[in-house]
Amino acid sequence: MPLAPPSSAIHIQPAVSPHLQHAPRTPTSISIHPVALFSILDHYLRRKDDQDRVIGTLLGTRIDNHVEVRTSFAVLHSETSEQVAVDMEYHRSMYELHHKVNSKEVIVGWYSTGSNLNTYSALIQNFYSQETAPHQAVHLSLDTGVEPGHPAGIKAYISSPVGVFPKPENCVFVPIPVELRFRESERSGVDLLTSTALSSSTTSSQPLSDLTILESSIQNVISMIDRVLTYVRAVLAGEVKGDAAVGRYLMDTLGASTADLEKGGFNARLQDTLMVTYLANLVRAQAEVSSRLALVTAA
Amino acid sequence: MAAPSMAAALAASLPAPSAAPTPAAPTYEAIPPSMSTLIDVEAEIPLQCVQLDGLVVSKILKHACDSNSSSPIGLLLGIDLDGVLEVSNSFPLPYHSGDDDDKSAKSVGRYQASMLRSLKEVQGDDSIVGFYQASTLGAFFNQNLIDLQAIHREKLRHGGIVVVHDVSQTTRGNASFRAFRLTPAFYDAYKKSNFSTTSLASHQLTFSSILEELPLKIYTNPLLSAFLGEFSTSSSSSSTFALPPSFSVLNLNSDGLTKNLEHIVDSLDNYRNEEGNLAYLSRQIARERAKADNYVAKRKEESAARVAQGLAPLPEEDVTRLFKIPPEPSRLESMLLLGQVDGYAKSLSETTSTGLVKMYAATAGSGV
Repeated sequence: MPLAPPSSAIHIQPAVSPHLQHAPRTPTSISIHPVALFSILDHYLRRKDDQDRVIGTLLGTRIDNHVEVRTSFAVLHSETSEQVAVDMEYHRSMYELHHKVNSKEVIVGWYSTGSNLNTYSALIQNFYSQETAPHQAVHLSLDTGVEPGHPAGIKAYISSPVGVFPKPENCVFVPIPVELRFRESERSGVDLLTSTALSSSTTSSQPLSDLTILESSIQNVISMIDRVLTYVRAVLAGEVKGDAAVGRYLMDTLGASTADLEKGGFNARLQDTLMVTYLANLVRAQAEVSSRLALVTAA
Repeated sequence: MAAPSMAAALAASLPAPSAAPTPAAPTYEAIPPSMSTLIDVEAEIPLQCVQLDGLVVSKILKHACDSNSSSPIGLLLGIDLDGVLEVSNSFPLPYHSGDDDDKSAKSVGRYQASMLRSLKEVQGDDSIVGFYQASTLGAFFNQNLIDLQAIHREKLRHGGIVVVHDVSQTTRGNASFRAFRLTPAFYDAYKKSNFSTTSLASHQLTFSSILEELPLKIYTNPLLSAFLGEFSTSSSSSSTFALPPSFSVLNLNSDGLTKNLEHIVDSLDNYRNEEGNLAYLSRQIARERAKADNYVAKRKEESAARVAQGLAPLPEEDVTRLFKIPPEPSRLESMLLLGQVDGYAKSLSETTSTGLVKMYAATAGSGV
């Protein structure tokens, strides 16, 4: 799942050498949770006038050589032409606060907005590497797409020292693949935000009933079936050359049988569902009557 | 729960007109007329709706999924502007399983204070406007929610709001957020901590009039909209999405039903127990009262007899001191339980109604 415009970078995965097996492995892929991404965007919107970019800490979990970024928080920093300063005390206290709520999430790296990697990036990377030791720190660079010529996207890097005598201000940022990942149960929330974002007013009202959502989804399916139908008709009429792969996919999808439902299962299930509906309504009515009766007896 | 005082909330919101509105509400080109005077006129405008930022939506979702507590709670930060309460940020409160309340309350207070201070340093909003609570299967009524909301009612502008998020409904494919606040009638009864039957009747309180619902809107700022738009449309070079469309709503499997039914039965049992207690207590009250009445009647008879015999009547006695009539039990607990039962039943009937639609849709082509 690409989060950035395609690049020509090759993601090299170093072979694990046998004598290094106990050393922490180099991260080879990164996934980012929407919360972390949205926090970064929010932080960027709240930056001061004189700030070119904002930086912050990424919290998350490590599984083997996969890094999962779960949350992020903003960190104060200042950059001038002579020096860069990161408020380490702030970073520490904020980390402790986050740790109280979710103790599983640890520091995995840092983020910055803008796409330029410079000497300061290397210095900050060096600082975060000390925080995440013995693991390697990851760096997320998020391009907000606000400046012309820089398309929006997220890139992830790990660093490796460069030169005969490695110095903190010199390092090579090696790109690694990054993807968006969240739990399946959070899916509907993300869908809600997406539909909100795509509506013209960028607002949507709540709460929606289950039936409304179901209706829109069924509409969606109907329109897809229509699209498929037009395509199939065009192929049959010989206007378009049929794609065998598409045909196989269609076969698999539409071949699913509802035989299970037809064998009387449907009626049994229908009765169950109606029964439960009746029960639920009965309980609600009883609850309402009971609460009203409490008022009446006193009067 | 240490919420900042009214004065602190005011102080925090006062400098906002000069600095905060621009990042918080980028859609406003001009400063709204209500802001032109630098006195706090916002508190006078009644709240019309609550606007939840995309960031807050995702934070609540994540906290609800991660937390191991049954009803995770967090605080909402934001600002009120022209009758719209804009919630722009939130943070979760730590979950304490331990029973030593005093210590955990203190540590939560400390946590909250330092979190607010830290957010202020990075130009975040730092005035508390309410809290959120995640619940399952529509049953969000509990003592904790009412207590916290009552505290906020005192201390926050507009009395604070509570945003209720339903985890199980979200899992089913409909992310649900609802905003509530306490009704004046309920708060009046709560302040007097009087939930006797007479008080309930005079306030016309049932479980449905504890909270009033405020309309809630979800808002995504332009930058976030741009990113989300980018993710959900396929890029030209490859036909993959960062966010492929999902059809989990159409899932026919209704696993949750049994659990939902179990919850209803459990909460009905709890309600029955509570009603049993109430009935026991009221019987006891009736018994004591009958005893007292008997005693008074007997004494009156005696004194009447003495008067008839030409003796002085018996001196008046304070009956209440002789007989301890227990105070009338609070019906709050039973009301909340009934609210829970109603919540569970409502979510059950919603699930089944969509289930019916899905069943007919699935068999639409096969002619059953």
